[in-house]
Amino acid sequence: MQDPKQVARYGLDALLEAGADKAECSLTLTDKHELNVELGEFALMRTTFDTQVDLTAIRDNKKGSTSINKSNNDSLDRAVADVLGIAAASSPDDAYDIAEAQPPAAFSSGSDSPDVDRMHSRMKEMLESIKVRYPKLVLREAYLDFTRTRNYFLNSNGVDFVTNKGVYTLVAMFSSRDGEKVSSFNYTAFSLKDLERDLLSCGSLDMLMQQSTEQINTRPLEGKFVGDIIITPDCLGDMLHFLSYSIGDGPMISGTSIYKDKLDEQIASPLLTMHSRPVSDEICNGYFVTPDGYAAQNGTILQDGVLKTFLLSLYGSRKTGLDRAVTSGGAFVVDPGHTPLEEMVKSVKKGVLLARFSGGSPSDNGDISGVAKNSYLIEDGEIRYPISESMISGNVADMLMNVAAVSRERVDYGFSICPWVAVSGVTISGK
Amino acid sequence: MYSLDLREYAELFTAYTELRAQENRNVRITFVRGNNTHNSRTSTSGISARVYSNGSWGFASNPEITEDALKLAIEAATDNALFLDSRERKGKGQLPVATASSVNDYSTRKPRLGQMELLEFARELDNHIALKYPELASRITGINCLDMEKTLLTSDGSYSHSMVPRSFIYVVLSLVKDGVPTELSNVYGGFGQFEDVFTSPSQLFDGIETQYEHLVRKSQGVFPDAGLKTCVLDAELAGILAHEAIGHTTEADIVMSGSVASGKVGEEVASPLVTLIDFANSYGGETCPVPIYVDDEGTKAEDAVIIENGILKGYMHNKESARHLGVLPTGNARAYQFSDEPLIRMRNTAILPGTDRLDDMIASIDDGYYLIRPSNGQADSTSEFMFGVTLGYEIKNGKIGRAIRDTTISGVAFDMLKTVTMVSPDMKWLSSGMCGKKQPIPVGMGGPAIKCKVTIGGR
Repeated sequence: MQDPKQVARYGLDALLEAGADKAECSLTLTDKHELNVELGEFALMRTTFDTQVDLTAIRDNKKGSTSINKSNNDSLDRAVADVLGIAAASSPDDAYDIAEAQPPAAFSSGSDSPDVDRMHSRMKEMLESIKVRYPKLVLREAYLDFTRTRNYFLNSNGVDFVTNKGVYTLVAMFSSRDGEKVSSFNYTAFSLKDLERDLLSCGSLDMLMQQSTEQINTRPLEGKFVGDIIITPDCLGDMLHFLSYSIGDGPMISGTSIYKDKLDEQIASPLLTMHSRPVSDEICNGYFVTPDGYAAQNGTILQDGVLKTFLLSLYGSRKTGLDRAVTSGGAFVVDPGHTPLEEMVKSVKKGVLLARFSGGSPSDNGDISGVAKNSYLIEDGEIRYPISESMISGNVADMLMNVAAVSRERVDYGFSICPWVAVSGVTISGK
Repeated sequence: MYSLDLREYAELFTAYTELRAQENRNVRITFVRGNNTHNSRTSTSGISARVYSNGSWGFASNPEITEDALKLAIEAATDNALFLDSRERKGKGQLPVATASSVNDYSTRKPRLGQMELLEFARELDNHIALKYPELASRITGINCLDMEKTLLTSDGSYSHSMVPRSFIYVVLSLVKDGVPTELSNVYGGFGQFEDVFTSPSQLFDGIETQYEHLVRKSQGVFPDAGLKTCVLDAELAGILAHEAIGHTTEADIVMSGSVASGKVGEEVASPLVTLIDFANSYGGETCPVPIYVDDEGTKAEDAVIIENGILKGYMHNKESARHLGVLPTGNARAYQFSDEPLIRMRNTAILPGTDRLDDMIASIDDGYYLIRPSNGQADSTSEFMFGVTLGYEIKNGKIGRAIRDTTISGVAFDMLKTVTMVSPDMKWLSSGMCGKKQPIPVGMGGPAIKCKVTIGGR
């Protein structure tokens, strides 16, 4: 393959020569090395190489885009012709644009290549620890990958960014079994910049595996009551996703976002401060360039419960007349609170420690209902027993307002950092 | 798609090997409130090899489809298998030999529409919605098409070529009442390339009218009364029930990890009214939404009978799980992208129709719910399932009552299936979703309406 920067330059120049008024070309080269475990045994070693070329053209305020995974000149020439044809077919829209000029920059994080022997030894160490510590646990599947991504982003306003990122990620899915009794499955994932620590000590893996073995014997909740829930860091993503989706392009452009007029207003408890920090040192699996071609920056979404930014792209910004966000979301870091987790549990009269939420997507107004999986009944300030066949119903927007405590402790997943969050006034129903 | 004939490279195999060339082509067009927010075509293609050595697998892929890339992929996959084998020494024997061949190309024979024509189609439909329903606060109209073209050669001698397309138009309608947004989406289309599925925008007008009428009622809807209720699950929900609640627990890799279906073959797990099959490619003389004739391990795809008249009969297998459990592989090994390894996946999973009329089913319930449209769903190793429900109605004294707001239903499948007392004679396939299990994959889900007891979320 020729010099990747030259490939991206060829694609950009070809778009302009073909008549684009404005153009973007992004070339991404990805190498992935992955070790797979099935049923507690090594099963597969996988090596994949991929190329992605994303081409965008704007001509007469009409926009088209295409992606291919070939980088030779013939393929690029065909894709350029396609993208101009796609643009010609589109409707004109003054909001179509590309990022303005920024100083050229090269970003990098992590290693250039995997330590495959270390990957194998860390996985083997994890499997052996699990056998000793959690003999009833069935590791249904787990994979540890090292992914190296090189991206070359050019646009006709002079944007010229090079990104080189290497990161390890572990994904694990497991359940526990004792005779004919089986627990609910659970899963988690985390990213690491290196393999210095044993895998079982990273993220929430050890805690969830211990809980899994406890969850072989569950009891359904009886009846229906309004109580408190303590949302675990693994489960908090569902709540954060609703917020980040609602303040993003789709609902903001369509006008259906319940937060569309709430900038600088209180939309969550003052206990909640949340950031998107894609270029922070504390996030090893972030990003350096937004999809629309801006150097990503860290941003605060909620400051003491007040909405500080929408998550609008350049297009979303121009459609709504509101500011473009300096981040494109994700890489969420929620500030720790002042309450130890143990005290949060003690303060619950009757409720649920919600460790996994299996439910329908929230509706546009935030209504949500689903099953409390891998979860526990809390009564009189004590975690009583793992539950099954129990549902949670509420409204995510209300839940954000009704946060009663945020834990001092947090879990670091490499792509986000989250605490435990206590919420009051949630409907909990059993059999 | 690509000019290489894989069969010319069989001599490069030094162990059990699967060699696959694949291209996924996608068209995506979206209008949000008349704004053309997405307008793209993508193509992803390449070559992959998977090699087996004494119980360890190696896999490698390359985006180029050239002789050099093919050789490199086979070498790298072989090296990966040997690396794992050298450390693990699992000493497992050979895989079952399953030789099959087929060529199934479902490309349209009509002239292909270009992006301009597809955009015009979507725009005309969107304009119709805007003019006909001015009360809408927002609308999304979109086209999403996927062609999956694969060629496979295995060292057992299997060879297959397939081109399986699907084409959908999705319509999302939103009303705002008293400041509260209510949304209802529907997906039209299914198996086939766009030209074979859609003729003109007006073909969808009746469906959108019905969708709008449901939305108006839903905007005045109530929260369900949370708890265990007798419900009629319409065909789309029965399909997702077949897939999520039963299907996943009977995928052999999930069974071997200890799912609740493990060791239950021959036992009664459902009402005798329930028969559930994962169809390979056709049902009732018609092609299923995701027809598979030879899977991505080169096994001839057979129908997998999961439940017959309430009795658990078997599981879905790839070669390795079939060897482990001493049965024949069923042809359920499927991969999504060229760079993905085959996993045990469902194909077209359906509960078979019965004889009870839908009207009689509703009339037989004093206090319950008629649930029509699902959103997402998830199942568990315990067979506890949940589905989001975006359209449903109360049933009061045998009659349809008020619409309900978005909710979620749940239950334990092997308990819930024993509560099935009525099954309707119609059959509907749902195929717009992607099943997620490390990789996404298109699947078909089918069923009639069924009467049963499930737990419904609400206030």
